[in-house]
Amino acid sequence: MSNNYFNTLPLREQLEQLAKCRFMDISEFPDGVEALKGKKMVVIGCGAQGLAQGMNLRDSGCDVSYALREAAIAEKRQSWKNATENGFVVGTYEELIPTADVVLNLTPDKQHTAVVNAVMPLMKEGACLSYSHGFNIVEEGMQIRDDLTVIMVAPKCPGSEVRNEYVRGFGVPTLIAVHEDNDPKGEGLALAKAYAVGTGGHKAGVLMSSFIAEVKSDLMGEQTILCGMLQTGSLLCFDKMVEEGIEPGYASKLIQYGWETITEALKYGGVTNMLDRLSNPAKIKAFDLAEELKVIMRPLYNKHQDDIIDGTFSRVMMEDWANDDVNLLGWRAETAETAFEKTPAGDVEISEQEYFDNGILMVAMVKAGVELAFETMTAAGIIADSAYYESLHETPLIANTIARKKLYEMNATISDTAEYGCYLYNHACLPLLADFMKDIKTDVIGKGLDLEDTGVDNARLIEVNAALRAHPVEAIGTTLRGHMADMKKIV
Amino acid sequence: MNIRLDNLTVNFDDRFQLDEINWQLDDSQHWVITGANGSGKSALAAILAGAGEHVSGNLEGVPAKVGLVSFEAQAELIERERKKDDADIMDVISEGTPVHEILSEDGRNPELVNQLVTMFKLDTLVDRSFRKLSTGESRKVMLIRALASEPDLLILDEPFDGLDAHTLEMLQQYLATLVETVPMVLVLNRFDEFPDFITHIAYVDHGRLQHQIDRNNSDAYNELYKLLHLKTTDLAVPAADPENDIPRLDPTQPLVRLSSINITYDGHRIIDSLDWTIERNQHWQLSGPNGSGKTGLLSLITGDHPQCYVNDIFVFGFKRGSGESIWQIKQFIGYVSTALQWEYKVGTGLRNVIISGFYDSIGLYTKATDKQKQIADEWLALLGMTDRADTPFNKLSYGDQRLLLIARAMVKHPPLLILDEPCLGLDDMNRQLVLALIEKICAGSETSVLYVNHHPEDQIKGIDNYLALEKK
Repeated sequence: MSNNYFNTLPLREQLEQLAKCRFMDISEFPDGVEALKGKKMVVIGCGAQGLAQGMNLRDSGCDVSYALREAAIAEKRQSWKNATENGFVVGTYEELIPTADVVLNLTPDKQHTAVVNAVMPLMKEGACLSYSHGFNIVEEGMQIRDDLTVIMVAPKCPGSEVRNEYVRGFGVPTLIAVHEDNDPKGEGLALAKAYAVGTGGHKAGVLMSSFIAEVKSDLMGEQTILCGMLQTGSLLCFDKMVEEGIEPGYASKLIQYGWETITEALKYGGVTNMLDRLSNPAKIKAFDLAEELKVIMRPLYNKHQDDIIDGTFSRVMMEDWANDDVNLLGWRAETAETAFEKTPAGDVEISEQEYFDNGILMVAMVKAGVELAFETMTAAGIIADSAYYESLHETPLIANTIARKKLYEMNATISDTAEYGCYLYNHACLPLLADFMKDIKTDVIGKGLDLEDTGVDNARLIEVNAALRAHPVEAIGTTLRGHMADMKKIV
Repeated sequence: MNIRLDNLTVNFDDRFQLDEINWQLDDSQHWVITGANGSGKSALAAILAGAGEHVSGNLEGVPAKVGLVSFEAQAELIERERKKDDADIMDVISEGTPVHEILSEDGRNPELVNQLVTMFKLDTLVDRSFRKLSTGESRKVMLIRALASEPDLLILDEPFDGLDAHTLEMLQQYLATLVETVPMVLVLNRFDEFPDFITHIAYVDHGRLQHQIDRNNSDAYNELYKLLHLKTTDLAVPAADPENDIPRLDPTQPLVRLSSINITYDGHRIIDSLDWTIERNQHWQLSGPNGSGKTGLLSLITGDHPQCYVNDIFVFGFKRGSGESIWQIKQFIGYVSTALQWEYKVGTGLRNVIISGFYDSIGLYTKATDKQKQIADEWLALLGMTDRADTPFNKLSYGDQRLLLIARAMVKHPPLLILDEPCLGLDDMNRQLVLALIEKICAGSETSVLYVNHHPEDQIKGIDNYLALEKK
């Protein structure tokens, strides 16, 4: 069994690594892809992410080919088709890896140990191994040959977007890191930067982070606010609405598309803007509900973060990997059987504003989840920039997935780590909120406040508005969205 | 009154012909005929006054009393007066016909003549010889003659040309008082001169009546405005940005050389061993049925097709797959297609859409320079969209989007401009708009045009190389 790398470090270094995250200016990329010129890049894995990155890199002037397992080639599997139809050279590990200057490991986390064990002996002296996620290094403690440089380049978007944004002349925000234990020639950063340029990431913003900060914040974000909170919230809100006599088709639609609609407001203007979309009385109601939720759920967020930091989470999950994913697959099947999942969205018109007005509790859940995840991460030593990206920034991406695919498919789409964590969160959170839900009525989920008078107390409104804007996730969010707006569209 | 022109073809001195005109005017309508210089708009008006030789078709319902003011009619009258002088065989200096005689010819209403003389401020000139009047003064005489004849149809060809502001306003007000009694046909080529009482517009181009528009149809009216603007504006295609120069190409090398090209989808080869070279300053038309690989072939050139890496392609000094980036290729190309328009789903303002052509991006992600903004504004002026510089692109009509994307493609004056069925999906008016813009671009530019099209009516002048693909 593996050794948790993070746990081998002294506290001082753990804290230092967790706190790494800096938004890089586009002026820090004057050399473009120069560091990769003349180098042979071999991608392992040709799924959506692998294909998108390879196409972008090739279009940026890099020499890219794909190494697939012999079986994938012999059986002409989808990965083989993806690569060959797009005019790439495809070969086996044995054929291509020994020629590679940079090996891009773009396989799913779960396969990393096997893949890296297979390719490492084939890699030439002094080559570079690149990851898109640091789980294998940090949680599994994979030991990489001393002569190899290890970097991470992680576009923070699905593969299709990585390609589309490049084609339109832009890119997606990208996280880069160098594994300091494996940077024998000191060229890791230059390679990571050139790689980010090759995929177009530098145009949309590059975050320089560490393997550790990436893993510990990514795991925390995905299993709590991103996937877990939205899953738990979907189930609770749906059951409550049906219990209170709301037409199930309407309830299903309000939830399936509601997350996407309300988090769109989150994406543009943070938690503040999301709540500003509500009427004054509804805003105060959402604020109060969120405060209540935060008190109830804080111990759960702390537990998730603690388990992630000390490696309990990854150990338990890997035990399930070793046990043929019995838990994961069982929980996935349970999700398919939930009432929300089985009730299709009704053929009713719901206006954009109605998603807010009739979804006050959903707004409160998103607010509570984002703030708790952010607070918990920063309390654990993760820098605010990382915490922002792994909580608030990515929530709309998952909400969008739910809008398209509901919960079952959402879970099947996200990474195995995210899915496993999502179920852990959901199982703990459902009973935790049972009492809270007893007092919930359709005024905050399903029908909206029934008020003749929308007046509010001035002092209370001022208090709520001030509290919203004073939260640290709003301060860092304003700064980072500012960077993004500068770079992204002058629209 | 109900005038009908049925398939009427009219010949004017063998120099010019109006073809197959179908048109109806009734007495509740007031028309403007408009079009570019030489389009035939004056000739169409003149038909109603009896001009031209009818070759085929019918004209009926023209009233007996037609009042006509036009440069031709003015020139005719001046010529007549000059001849009177030449015909004088006596050795005395002819004073010519005085203005008041000219005005009262054919029994015009003297009271009305006097009233109009005062209105046009010609009182001091009524005794002068008509021959001695300035052009503007004789034009006023023509107007008074026409108005005082109490016509059943009034035809005014560019009546406002050469009038001072005061007279122009007076005339417009006076015409407005006739609205209930006299149907009018005005020939005008400036939209801002169209009087408010105009109910219909006829657009003439190349001797044909191309469009008839009800003024209340504001969409059609706006499109016509732009078409006329493009056809008549003195504005040239804005220059390239001197600060944003595209690298110089080796003049001895072709722009594009494709050698034995193949494109294969799912094992099915749609382009098979094709050789094609585009030399500098050549214009090409590419045609072929759907599925013959036109767009695939173009995207090999633009670098958007993944199979460009497995073919022998030389573009703009680069052998593809030798370490160049697609942005190095795209900087030499301007590109317009329906697919691009579908992709270009942004809320960016129009000015920024044009500027994005400097960066070959969909949307603008770089801060534009002042010079780029200035050039973009010049393009907007050319398109007649100056007042919409900040309108979101996705709020434009489909045809306007196409025009703007053509401007975007051309803004950097690329060595190669690829127009992949630029008229596809456009109605007749917008097609003509697009073609007018493309012709403007082709004239006097060093850009090679590669034009994909299979409609014979959408030809562009000056294209003399053809490649026709066949479906495999």
